Amino acid sequence: MINLFDGAMGTILQSQGILQPSTCPELLNVKNSQAIIDIHKKYIAAGSTIIETNTFGANRIKLSHYGLENDIRLLNKAGVKNAKTAMQGHGKVAGAMGPLGRFIEPLGDISFDEVYDIYFEQAQALAEGGADYILIETCIDIQEMRAALLAAKAAAPLLPIFCQMSYSEDGRTVTGTDPQTAAITLTAMGADIIGANCSTGPEELIPIIKILSENTHCPISVQPNAGMPHLINKKTVFPMTPADMAKWAPMLIAAGATFIGGCCGTTPDHIAAINRSIKNIAEPIRHQQFPNDLVLTSRTKTVFIGSNFPTRLVGERINPTGRKKLAAEIKNQSFISVKKEAVEQTNAGADILDVNMGVGGINQAAAMEKAIKEIAQIVDVPLSIDTSDPAALEAGLKVYPGRALINSVSAEPDRLKKFLPLAKKYGAAILCLPLSDKGLPKTGRERIHIIKKIIAAAKQTGLHDNDFILDCLVMTIAAEKNAATEVLQALSLYRHELGYPSTMGLSNISFGLPNRALINSTFFAMCLANGLDAPIMNPYDESMKNTLTAAAALIGKDPNGRHYSMSVSQQDTPTTNKSVTTPTNILQAIKHSIITGEKENVAAMVEQALKNGYTSNEITEKALTEAMNDVGKNFGAKKIFLPQVMLSAEAMREAFIKIKEVLPSAELTDKGTVVIATVKGDIHDLGKNIVAALLENNGFKLIDLGKDVDAEEIVRAAIKNDADIVGLCSLMTTTMLQIDKVIAALKKAGARAHVIVGGAVLTQEYADAAGADAYAQDGVVAVKIAKKLIISKTPMS
Amino acid sequence: MPIYNAPLKKIDETQTRRYAGLAAADFSSKAIHDACTEMLYTAEPHGSWEIYDYDTLTYTILSANPFTLNGNKIRQHLNHCNKVIVLAVTIGSNIEHIIETTFQTGKYTHALLLDAAATTAVEQTADNLEKNIDPFITSMGYKRIWRFSPGYGDWNISCQPQMLKLANAAAIDVSHTSSMMLIPRKSVTAIIGLIPQTDNFSPEKPSCNNCQQKNCLSRIKFHK
Repeated sequence: MINLFDGAMGTILQSQGILQPSTCPELLNVKNSQAIIDIHKKYIAAGSTIIETNTFGANRIKLSHYGLENDIRLLNKAGVKNAKTAMQGHGKVAGAMGPLGRFIEPLGDISFDEVYDIYFEQAQALAEGGADYILIETCIDIQEMRAALLAAKAAAPLLPIFCQMSYSEDGRTVTGTDPQTAAITLTAMGADIIGANCSTGPEELIPIIKILSENTHCPISVQPNAGMPHLINKKTVFPMTPADMAKWAPMLIAAGATFIGGCCGTTPDHIAAINRSIKNIAEPIRHQQFPNDLVLTSRTKTVFIGSNFPTRLVGERINPTGRKKLAAEIKNQSFISVKKEAVEQTNAGADILDVNMGVGGINQAAAMEKAIKEIAQIVDVPLSIDTSDPAALEAGLKVYPGRALINSVSAEPDRLKKFLPLAKKYGAAILCLPLSDKGLPKTGRERIHIIKKIIAAAKQTGLHDNDFILDCLVMTIAAEKNAATEVLQALSLYRHELGYPSTMGLSNISFGLPNRALINSTFFAMCLANGLDAPIMNPYDESMKNTLTAAAALIGKDPNGRHYSMSVSQQDTPTTNKSVTTPTNILQAIKHSIITGEKENVAAMVEQALKNGYTSNEITEKALTEAMNDVGKNFGAKKIFLPQVMLSAEAMREAFIKIKEVLPSAELTDKGTVVIATVKGDIHDLGKNIVAALLENNGFKLIDLGKDVDAEEIVRAAIKNDADIVGLCSLMTTTMLQIDKVIAALKKAGARAHVIVGGAVLTQEYADAAGADAYAQDGVVAVKIAKKLIISKTPMS
Repeated sequence: MPIYNAPLKKIDETQTRRYAGLAAADFSSKAIHDACTEMLYTAEPHGSWEIYDYDTLTYTILSANPFTLNGNKIRQHLNHCNKVIVLAVTIGSNIEHIIETTFQTGKYTHALLLDAAATTAVEQTADNLEKNIDPFITSMGYKRIWRFSPGYGDWNISCQPQMLKLANAAAIDVSHTSSMMLIPRKSVTAIIGLIPQTDNFSPEKPSCNNCQQKNCLSRIKFHK
């Protein structure tokens, strides 16, 4: 049966002059209920069999803009009453809930729990009012939809729930979710009807509806706008006529929709035209892709796992067990390494990332919540939440904007009792671990026996055949001679008796043995041949990846070995050997390394030069200084650029450090003393730091006062250190007046130092007017000028 | 949707190269890649925005406390706009410390590249925020013209306090110093003009010629 929704409410209220810009649309439910009922009636007359309540924005956040946050129940119940009054028992009423206008953390500034509470109170009022459905619509963020769906299910457990997202012209929601991912995520969470509304016209929604219908067993709903809006005379106008709109309706039904209506810009005339166009249209025949395969999602990506798909790698590196640095970081609530592992494993080919926050003495739930939020923001692959702590599991599942995998559910009663309801509630899949309170299973047969118990309990909780992946529980062959063969037996039993996909942490097999890599990769190949679908492993391990590539070709997952051949040819690409002329003279070699910025070699070469009998002065003058002179010339001629100059400075620094290390008494900083600072009010540091580094590595003694420095402090430092040069830096028009102030103060205090100024906004003219001795537009010029100024100030008498 | 912390999934290496002044240089791609990936793990992107009516006759943003724009370039730029979006974005305050520490340990080049990657990251955050706003403005029949920031052209940065207020930037912890610098330093404020989708107006393209930062590393050189 095709169900016909109504069309827009707000645009009609506006066009009739009933709704003024400053009026709350939902307030009309009580202040002018007849107007609302009349519009509902027009839609019913046009053929609508489902009417949406005028409650789109009747939530705490939206109503608070009008000071109506205490009337949530009143306005929602009145909305349902108006629709029921109009319908008079001849159709159904859908209690509408629109988006809140704020994104959930970390995309926005409101928590998942707060959003849940807000939707709960609205859904509860709609249900109390007697709505037949709860309709969550126009959501652009899957996380908001997840919170709303959970709230609606809790507040109105007996009502079917529509979940309609809005997709932009690129086929994704604003926050990046595609319809396949939305359909899978929301179906797993228990949505009853899945659909799309608003944003675009009917034509753009046809492919969206098709994808939705191929990825869920739920009925599909669609409510397009009357085309893409235009602004005419400062008014938003939707261009499609009823006839235009109606011609797309049969195609939307053919794509899979059985609930159809209109959104912005549609009128009773549009609905009447749609009604006529679908009169003799039969229900669509649905073809769901891969209905029984395990599928995981992130916010923006779907990953299928099973024998019909390539082997999926589950990256195991986000796990602090045995990794002190990572554990310490997590303990200190730093997640930089966690993010790094997430990105690098994904780049290395991981299809799913396992996330374990098992650090002793921390709040596991808080750590898991933070980790999941951070990882989900930075990578697209789905996540596996690896914990034995139910609080940590729920914290992770809640904030994860997709369908996660739970790692793991064993047959231990407490685990079944606490983990399975969470999997059901949040739509997660479960990794079934063949462990029971009776201990470790020895044989493949024992394993499948336990697995069957887990699956029975899971199904009783409401999970389905496409919610499971089975672990083989790998133990070391060093302790149990049949450990490997029993795992292979388990794989075979899983595949043939149950048909669910399989997984395992492979590396346990070689524990306690030498050359573990060989055992691991050999075992991996055997497991792949026996049907392993998703190994949990280190995705950086090249030998394992090579085994996977070769095995894929052997077991028919890489037809004709095409991927294998490409992979081998890439590895075999010969690297071109650059012909490098290495100077034979050690000083020339040092100079060459400084110029090319090869700091790795410089220290050893300096040490060699000192051993060869060169003095530190000879090395400095004939290698280092000459090199920096050449670097300066090349920079001036625009043959090289600032980062290359800085590489040379880094190499120079290594050379100086080595000379100091070998000859602690060597006098290297004899070119003069420079006091340098970024002036008061300016917090830019990098430019000044570059100049300081270049001066220091050209033999000047540097006193770096930092950024945002008072004139008085600069003067004090210049006098105290009898500075030869004061370098002043200002990057902003608002701070460059400080240059004048410092120069005046230096003169007044009788400082003998020359002043060099520089910074993005400064010019030669400004420097002259301020009374500076020189202007340097960059660090290289600053060094050149400093050297000149020092020579010119050599005492005359 | 006044707050949107757009995820950063990759930092553009070509732009980072340009901001580091290396557009024309033969320079290690790995060094640039390393800086971009480190910045990816460090950056904490945040953004906030608000939409306002704009009066083209008086060059005024019609907020609760109307704000008149000073600067001929920005006024010309918004010539066809009757609405504007004021936005603020940042990638957080950790960046400064990391760049400074990197420099102090003698990794001058890496620090310089990190700074360039941070600049790229904050601009990408603003780009992502714009994309997030697009469906909202499209649904009203508008489209946007390119964003214009204080300090560009002849638009003085002394307007930063008003810009921050209009963008509700306090919500993402962006403030300013007495010398009108934004804190955290890797932050941006900007105005995006909105014009009807049917309007063919195309503002003058952004150009380094209009910028007063003559010594900027990333300045694109103009030959005649």
